[in-house]
Amino acid sequence: METAFISKLKPLLDAVAKTMDVYVPVKVGEHYACRKYDPSGATEPELNEIRMCPPVKEFLFPLRELAAVFPEPVDPASVKPFAVFGLKACDLRSLEILDKVFMEKDFEDPLYVAHRKMMLIISSDCSAPGESCFCNLLGGKPYPEGGFDLNISRVVDGFLLEPGSARGKGLLFAHATLFGDVPDDLLEERAKLREAAQNRLTQITADLKLDAPIAEIVERGRNSDLFDEQARTCVECQACTRICPTCHCFYLYDTRQQDYFAKMKMWDSCMRIGHAQVAGGANPRKMLGDRLRHRFLHKFVYFMERYGIDMCVGCGRCIDAETGDVDMRIVLKRLNEEFLAVDRKAAKAAK
Amino acid sequence: MTRNLYQPMNAEIVETIDESPTIKSFVIAPEAPFKFDTGQFVELTLPGEGEAPFTPSSSPTMTEKMEITIMKAGRVTGLLHECGQGQKVAIRGPYGNGYPVDRFAGKHVYIVGGGVGLAPIRSLFLTLVDRVGDFKSVVCRFGARTPEDFIYKKALFGAWQKLDGVQMKLTVDKANGDWDGHVGVVTTILDPKDVDIANAVAVVCGPPIMMKFVTVNLLDFGFHPGSIYLSMEKNMSCGFGKCGHCMLGKYYVCKDGPVFTYEQISKYPNIWE
Repeated sequence: METAFISKLKPLLDAVAKTMDVYVPVKVGEHYACRKYDPSGATEPELNEIRMCPPVKEFLFPLRELAAVFPEPVDPASVKPFAVFGLKACDLRSLEILDKVFMEKDFEDPLYVAHRKMMLIISSDCSAPGESCFCNLLGGKPYPEGGFDLNISRVVDGFLLEPGSARGKGLLFAHATLFGDVPDDLLEERAKLREAAQNRLTQITADLKLDAPIAEIVERGRNSDLFDEQARTCVECQACTRICPTCHCFYLYDTRQQDYFAKMKMWDSCMRIGHAQVAGGANPRKMLGDRLRHRFLHKFVYFMERYGIDMCVGCGRCIDAETGDVDMRIVLKRLNEEFLAVDRKAAKAAK
Repeated sequence: MTRNLYQPMNAEIVETIDESPTIKSFVIAPEAPFKFDTGQFVELTLPGEGEAPFTPSSSPTMTEKMEITIMKAGRVTGLLHECGQGQKVAIRGPYGNGYPVDRFAGKHVYIVGGGVGLAPIRSLFLTLVDRVGDFKSVVCRFGARTPEDFIYKKALFGAWQKLDGVQMKLTVDKANGDWDGHVGVVTTILDPKDVDIANAVAVVCGPPIMMKFVTVNLLDFGFHPGSIYLSMEKNMSCGFGKCGHCMLGKYYVCKDGPVFTYEQISKYPNIWE
């Protein structure tokens, strides 16, 4: 079944919620939080205009989880199917990035894989990219082109549903009576709305032109003083890495229960002073400036070298969450300026 | 179902050996044979307390038992030092890439070690000695702070000195008692004439400051940066390149190392810290 039309979302979510838990966006203040959907509610579910505040990694790689039990191993609790509604293109790209790490051949993380396989992804277009969005700088678009089971686009009087996987097609097929056909003019309308959102993104980021691939700009800025300068306004709250949908540092710790021992896995942050410290006290990143430098190098240089993709989707969550004053866009812009200055100097010297 | 990378294998401490005032060796019996390559590391868990990475000091040919030499350096190693025979532990691994022993064939192997850095070196040494004819020579230059601080004293002062194809020199930073050997840091017993450098590889393991100065010396002697093998100590937690703590530039020390050539890592900042 190809693209379908539905005038209200509730019947669709109610149908999905019959077989699994569904998580949906809920507006809290100026942001969207994520809550379990309650089909008994009378109101139409909200379709978020931009990404939700919590990163999708929370569903696959919870803040804290049980990694292993011993001396008698216990099979991990089986994960039940669940659906997340309202994910955006940037969220889907973050999944692509996390998959590279946690589904790496020969080193699959069984905890991540178990959740990933059970997640039904119902994504949607961004109708109004936010002030901190810069996905277009990283090759992103304000609407998903892949990586979803079902994608929703708001149009006049309803929603277009596009399947992106066999599961998505199956879902539309199973509930075919809910849907209507899609007249061509609605597809044209979707294209126009998408173009408008893209234009808005271009407008928001007009000031952010980069003159070389980001990996090159950041690599050339490796020894820049900018990171030490930025460190003066960073308060080490670690919010940037916690809320980042691609940051995935974690630590393992051991616990003792009444009749077993357990290894737990918990989020960590490379901005924490002890992150790289060894037992003897040596610490290659004891200076905050070095930790900021590492964060940028990891995201744009090392990850690119290793997996061929940036470890950033331009969602801007780190900018919204920042309690200090480190803005990823400004760091990239300043590194770009330094990059150009070095080039100008070299050109002058060559004359 | 995917194998659980985080699941440790149950094991038991069957013997402890006091090596120096701050270093002990633990003979550990895993519940099933445990294979590793020399220079790879394991995560040793003290149940309920925590785990830490160690490179086994025993020969990889021994899979029923494994020896791990541990310096008291932090909380987990402090608690391990209080453990005796019969203590239940658990191990995960082996992880990373060890010493590429086959690539050393036909060459002089110049091994420089210090302090507890002799632990991984012991495993390598036992591996090399098993097939000593494959190498032009095995030349060891080992140092410790004082004579008491040497680990594996019995072998080091005895049997290892007499092995065919092996040349060994020891030094201490500070002599005491009846030490009649060399006194000075380990770089003072390095000599460019020790081996034919064009046809040699160097292996360095020890405290970071020692590794730094030894590497500088070896480069001065004319060793190619790609022929200097360093066993790097970083904060290795998961063991398979995911948790992020041990990153050294683009490398995960746990997965891509812990053995690197100096050439691989020299461009990154703070490698010795």
